[in-house]
Amino acid sequence: MSKNILVTGVSQGLGLAIAESILAAGWNVYGVSRRHSPEYAALQEKFPGRVHFHAFDLAGVDAVKEDLFGKFLPFSTPLHGYVNNAAMAYDDIVTNLDAGRLRAMYDVNVFTPMMATKYAIRHMLFNRVAGSIVHISSISVHTGYKGLAMYASTKGALEAFSKNTAREWGERGVRSNCLVAGFMETAMSGKLTEEQRQRIYNRTALKQATKLGSVADTVVFLLGDGAASVTGQNIFVDSGTI
Amino acid sequence: MNEKLVTIINEVRANKQQPPLNDLCASSRLREDVGLESLDLAELTVRIEEKFGVDVFADGLVHTIGEIEAKIARVKA
Ligand SMILES: NC(=O)c1ccc[n+]([C@@H]2O[C@H](COP(=O)([O-])OP(=O)(O)OC[C@H]3O[C@@H](n4cnc5c(N)ncnc54)[C@H](OP(=O)(O)O)[C@@H]3O)[C@@H](O)[C@H]2O)c1
Repeated sequence: MSKNILVTGVSQGLGLAIAESILAAGWNVYGVSRRHSPEYAALQEKFPGRVHFHAFDLAGVDAVKEDLFGKFLPFSTPLHGYVNNAAMAYDDIVTNLDAGRLRAMYDVNVFTPMMATKYAIRHMLFNRVAGSIVHISSISVHTGYKGLAMYASTKGALEAFSKNTAREWGERGVRSNCLVAGFMETAMSGKLTEEQRQRIYNRTALKQATKLGSVADTVVFLLGDGAASVTGQNIFVDSGTI
Repeated sequence: MNEKLVTIINEVRANKQQPPLNDLCASSRLREDVGLESLDLAELTVRIEEKFGVDVFADGLVHTIGEIEAKIARVKA
């Protein structure tokens, strides 16, 4: 059976890789990000009718219902999965913490994804779909890195939210899991120096960056029927952090 | 009684293998008389919103069918 999957942050990086893996599985992608990138447009061209795009800024917590769902995903389009991938990282040491920047990050990383989860579940209830929700978390929640305290706290919030969502909605067949990703070579980690990178990789069993394709394929597994009994979990795809 | 509302309520009940109720009235209580639990009420909300364009639980709890009818009427008016 084909599935319709909402994915945030599809313009580049992991979100784009997730879109590719979903298409390879034969399903359809409903992608959002602020930018409509040439890479995503190329996917639309390659898979006509299966790759949808809606420009949406996740800073808009109050626009989730009317804009994201009302305009892009009406009830007439059954929703089988939601991948909360888009995020921003506000990096700094704790003593420099700025409340405004912290709030802006929480809007994008936590509050809008929580509202989107609300409407995704409502959508699944309406169409009686046993849907799957996947939040992209980060290994920084579990290990700790200098400068990532604020960012990691947003992902920790998602892990708690996911666990409780799984408990609450399991009896309706709705599943919720977190994919805990290790360091990947994307724009988000682009500011790290080669030395910082090596130090991070040395803290993993595989001594290398986490591969986008491995994370994306695991997301597809969690969305699919093969994961029908997997919920409330944190799945680590992180090169084996030690 | 609003016929569409009765249909929706019985649709939610049917999903839990409960027979349709034909004697619903404005004073019927959603939990005690209609037998709906919180997750059923969530489904009911979504179905009412899709039909009538109002999120009946958005501003506080609703206990009876009459209270739902009042909210639907307010939007129509
Ligand atoms: N890279 C890593 O090492 C790493 C490690 C662990 C976890 N993660 C997590 O993996 C996920 C993907 O990150 P990435 O590495 O692929 O980052 P990235 O290359 O920076 O991509 C982020 C994506 O999110 C979108 N986005 C950002 N802010 C947005 C907003 N306000 N509204 C809508 N879309 C927005 C961006 O699109 P636009 O700019 O076009 O809006 C982009 O498509 C994130 O949840 C991140 O926290 C990353």
